Amino acid sequence: MAEAGRTVAEAPVTTAAPRSFELRHLGLFVALALLVGVGLVTRPAAFATADNLVSILSLAATIGVITVGATFVIIGGGIDLSVGAVMALASVWATTVATQEFGPVVMAICAILVGTGAGLVSGLLVAYGRLVPFIATLAMLVAARGLAQRMSDRRTQLVRPDNQAIVDLATTRVLGVPLLVYVFALVVVLGWVLLNRTTFGRRTYAVGGNPEAARLAGIDVRRHTMLLYALSGLCCGIAAILIMARTTTGSSTHGDLYELDAIAAVIIGGTLLTGGRGTIVGSILGLLIFTIITNLFILNGLNTSDQLIAKGLIIVVAVLLQRRNLKERTP
Amino acid sequence: MLVMRGIVKQFPGVRALDGVDLDVRAGEVHCLLGQNGAGKSTLIKVLAGAHRPDEGTIELNGVPAAPASPVDAIRLGIATIYQELDLVDGLTVADNIFLGHEHARLGFTDRRAANRAAGEVLARLGHPEIRPSAEVGRLPPAAKQIVSMARALSREARLIVMDEPSAALAHDEVANLFRIIRDLTARGVAVVYISHRMEEIREIGDRVTVLKDGRTIAVGLPARDTPTSEIVSLMTGRDVEYVFPPRASRPPGEEVLRVEGLSAPGAFAGVSFSVRAGEIVGLAGLVGSGRSEILEAVYGARRATGQVLVGGRQVRRAGLLQSVRRDGPLRALRRGGVVESVRLGMGLAPEERKAQALLLDQSVTANITLGGLSGFARLGWLDRARERAEATRLAEALDIRPRDPERPVKTLSGGNQQKAVLARWLLGGRRLLLLDEPTRGVDVGARAELYTVIRRLAEDGIGVLLVSSEVPEVLGLADRVLVLREGTVIHQGDARDLDEHRVLDMIMNGRAA
Amino acid sequence: MTDKVARRGFLVGGLGGAALLAAAGCTSNEPSAAPSAGAAPAPAPSAGGNDQPGTKVTIGFSAPAADHGWIAAIAKNAEAAAKQYPDIDFKPVEPTNDINQQISAVESLVAAKVAALVILPNDGQQLNQVALQATQAGIPVVNLDRVFPDKLAYRTWIGGDNYGMGVAAGHYIGKKLKDKGVTNPVIVEIQGIATLPLTQDRSKGFADALKTYGFSVTAKQDAKFTVETGNQVATSLLQAHKKIDALWNHDDDQGIGVLAAIKEAGRKEFFMVGGAGSLNAMKEIQSGSSVLEATVTYSPTMASSAIKLARLIAQGKGMSDLVENQVPQSITLASETITKENVEKYLPLGFES
Repeated sequence: MAEAGRTVAEAPVTTAAPRSFELRHLGLFVALALLVGVGLVTRPAAFATADNLVSILSLAATIGVITVGATFVIIGGGIDLSVGAVMALASVWATTVATQEFGPVVMAICAILVGTGAGLVSGLLVAYGRLVPFIATLAMLVAARGLAQRMSDRRTQLVRPDNQAIVDLATTRVLGVPLLVYVFALVVVLGWVLLNRTTFGRRTYAVGGNPEAARLAGIDVRRHTMLLYALSGLCCGIAAILIMARTTTGSSTHGDLYELDAIAAVIIGGTLLTGGRGTIVGSILGLLIFTIITNLFILNGLNTSDQLIAKGLIIVVAVLLQRRNLKERTP
Repeated sequence: MLVMRGIVKQFPGVRALDGVDLDVRAGEVHCLLGQNGAGKSTLIKVLAGAHRPDEGTIELNGVPAAPASPVDAIRLGIATIYQELDLVDGLTVADNIFLGHEHARLGFTDRRAANRAAGEVLARLGHPEIRPSAEVGRLPPAAKQIVSMARALSREARLIVMDEPSAALAHDEVANLFRIIRDLTARGVAVVYISHRMEEIREIGDRVTVLKDGRTIAVGLPARDTPTSEIVSLMTGRDVEYVFPPRASRPPGEEVLRVEGLSAPGAFAGVSFSVRAGEIVGLAGLVGSGRSEILEAVYGARRATGQVLVGGRQVRRAGLLQSVRRDGPLRALRRGGVVESVRLGMGLAPEERKAQALLLDQSVTANITLGGLSGFARLGWLDRARERAEATRLAEALDIRPRDPERPVKTLSGGNQQKAVLARWLLGGRRLLLLDEPTRGVDVGARAELYTVIRRLAEDGIGVLLVSSEVPEVLGLADRVLVLREGTVIHQGDARDLDEHRVLDMIMNGRAA
Repeated sequence: MTDKVARRGFLVGGLGGAALLAAAGCTSNEPSAAPSAGAAPAPAPSAGGNDQPGTKVTIGFSAPAADHGWIAAIAKNAEAAAKQYPDIDFKPVEPTNDINQQISAVESLVAAKVAALVILPNDGQQLNQVALQATQAGIPVVNLDRVFPDKLAYRTWIGGDNYGMGVAAGHYIGKKLKDKGVTNPVIVEIQGIATLPLTQDRSKGFADALKTYGFSVTAKQDAKFTVETGNQVATSLLQAHKKIDALWNHDDDQGIGVLAAIKEAGRKEFFMVGGAGSLNAMKEIQSGSSVLEATVTYSPTMASSAIKLARLIAQGKGMSDLVENQVPQSITLASETITKENVEKYLPLGFES
């Protein structure tokens, strides 16, 4: 009996993960394949090039980094509406004349510190100030945008030529791929590891899935919640570096409505808005679906209004599909 | 006026009502008695139209009438006042009273008419001081009770069911409640009254019906003349005989928990006891007696004053915070209380397993290791192989079925889910386990298994503090028993010196035998 | 000094209180702001004529909040022009992007009985009513750029020529490609916010001018007047069209993002024309090494002119170089084309994005 129990216990360990992985993201892969199919049919020459793939990844990089952070917050049962504004603030702070004096490394550190600091403030408000996440981060959104406008005097701040190293992230290519795509990939990998291989990740699922159970199991739910928002802020800081690289500027207009795109990507990726369930891979697939739609529409010369309609449809269809998927899997 | 015959209600795995008869006359107060799980709640839900019976007949004034929905029940003149008041906090008193049958014209509510009518009803209940325009959420519990009653009255109910209406009331408020009930019965309204307090039943009740295990044991006993011992006898001696493992052979070891003068306003007061290694201490009492609250306070999940010492170490010091606010409750319990408790070797299996203990979507493994994750981690990095091995070992030790540690815990039966919660606290050398209703929602066979597991844990030198609403369970499993009534310990002693009858007597009559 | 400011700006980088943040925000940009944009572009008052001091007049000013370099320059130019005249009491109201707030801001100026109003409305349609009220209250309204549909609502309109801007860009591109002898050129257009009438006017002018050369726009896509959207749209457009002959970007602000995308893609085979006339764009043009060869103006100097017109109207003067006794009813600025050849002349007028 013990022998039998052992084999039963061990067998799914090796097979369960990949199986559920495929099932979980099947819908997303189908959607992605459909979009690629559309691209191949409508603009074969322009779409299916390595160059276009790289530019899709470059486009996705900034929001992608933010999406990783947003995934953590949402799995942890919260929501961060301030991501776009915090990124804008970090980009502005890093490109002020004062900060630029110190060179590219300090600019990058500055962006990261500003992002993390803003996230920490949101986290404190949510975890210890007992504000509803929606409200706390909405306040952060408005305040960070305002501060960004104030600091930049509503101007677009150029990255100075002697700080070109920042811009090089976008222009320098290794194996034909810009550095910032590597940064994006690195953040995704680190995010995945953090979520799936560490106590922090496990606790994130617990805190989002059942905060009461997590608390009674001895997890410091409030501290963890605060750290989740700080992590989201950190991602915004990194994203700010990438947006500075891509646009050669810091501006209070950066990241407009990023929060909606990031949340949409996370939801399409199968993360529950109520928390406790979700994956990084799903979020990134969701984001790529969005980015490819934009790319396809521009390649085909269609305007942005139609893009918005398509995106809205995708969100609804993706969530409906997932719900069906979920039902089938739940006995 | 109301005659129920052979009512049967089946739930998956449980026969909640197994042939209940009830006979209520107009103008009487009919008391319904029975232990927890005897079927009282299900019965009143059938009356309120929330459940439809599988078998049996209901007649109202000689006419067959089976309420198909809550609306239907109201239409038939049956109103129910639940234990957890079903009022909408954000609405006004008048809105609540007329919820569902508003004073309206073409969809526009007539606030003035509603307020006037509400004022009349409240005055009839002897509470003209409750303003119809006040927000219900701001009212004290007793006033809410009155509002709930006013709602029943406003519907011209002929039969009012009251589920433990006195539980939330102070003494003088109970007197007012009785005055209202007498006023109602004088006008021919029938009242079905559910309470555990014998003295209330004697004062207000006319006849008593006793339920046990979903069946009617006695119908229409005179409330004033039937001796308490007879009623208690009827309630006890349940059919299901639990199999309990033998008690500890060795004497208990050193003290692992000492509680001194633990108090929380409105929940319990001056509670002192201790738990030794290898000992199971049971808390017996009704819902609302403070038993779960004591457990939570010991665990640091609820604010309380007093001292809790674990393993000889004082956990909650009267530190800075208490010196600041000498009068109020010790707030230090809020800050990292549970984290500290877990670090010191406590573990809690809470009452609401699904809501408070489990991550339903997560695997058995993740649920078992939740409380001791850092034991499998180095600098935050999880050693998943070791985690899985340890979880598998524990799952086997407690015989959690099916034997698949990667299975989502929500697919397990109640008993196996409870074992997963217990397994969580077997990690990392616990010294004290707090178990709140460990066998709730667990079928009979699995209960015996759980009892064996709990006893084995004690044999291994863990101190166990057990709360259960089922008196036989506490008596059969625990070494020592504390009997609670309305927040105070009224008896403390060896479990072998007590029997179910005596404990119930203490709980219902409020005196130590 | 620089060091001190820099340190402060950075020190607060961690967290910091709101006051400190604001302080850092205010001070940290000073060094860059000082040399370039200090003086507002307005010719020195000439002797005699309109610039002689007259009766003291209060001029109210309302404009959208600056979320864009061009709007920022508008507010700045207006204020600088007003400062030149001791007989102007300049009364700006808090800029806002909310229609409702702008309406009440204008109402407050009317209530304060200013001598003249200069209004750049968030939306001409929606502010028409309040402008009409001002006019009826006897306060002359100078309508800046975005036009009120009702002519009774304003005394004088001064603004840029969106259609003309498209025409200027179209002519520059058309002529250059014709001279090169290109047939069937790939011409790409990056618009601003597609739903705005001004964007539609620009695109129409562009298409009309190109038509005279027998060319047409191959692809057009809308961005949102921000660096980031410009960058995103350009990145994909460059993928969509492997070979481009010419590109017109409606707005120099979003142009920074467009240029970054072009640089990132390493594309050099085409030339680009900008729009509005920002300082950055002019410097790019001046360098000679950029794909950006020209930009067509839509100059925020119109704000300076509007203030001057308001003063004249309030003082009952005409324009001294014209025969008329009163200021004309409508003045449309010509859209000028800035190239490497004439960029020196325009540099002082360039606005910082």
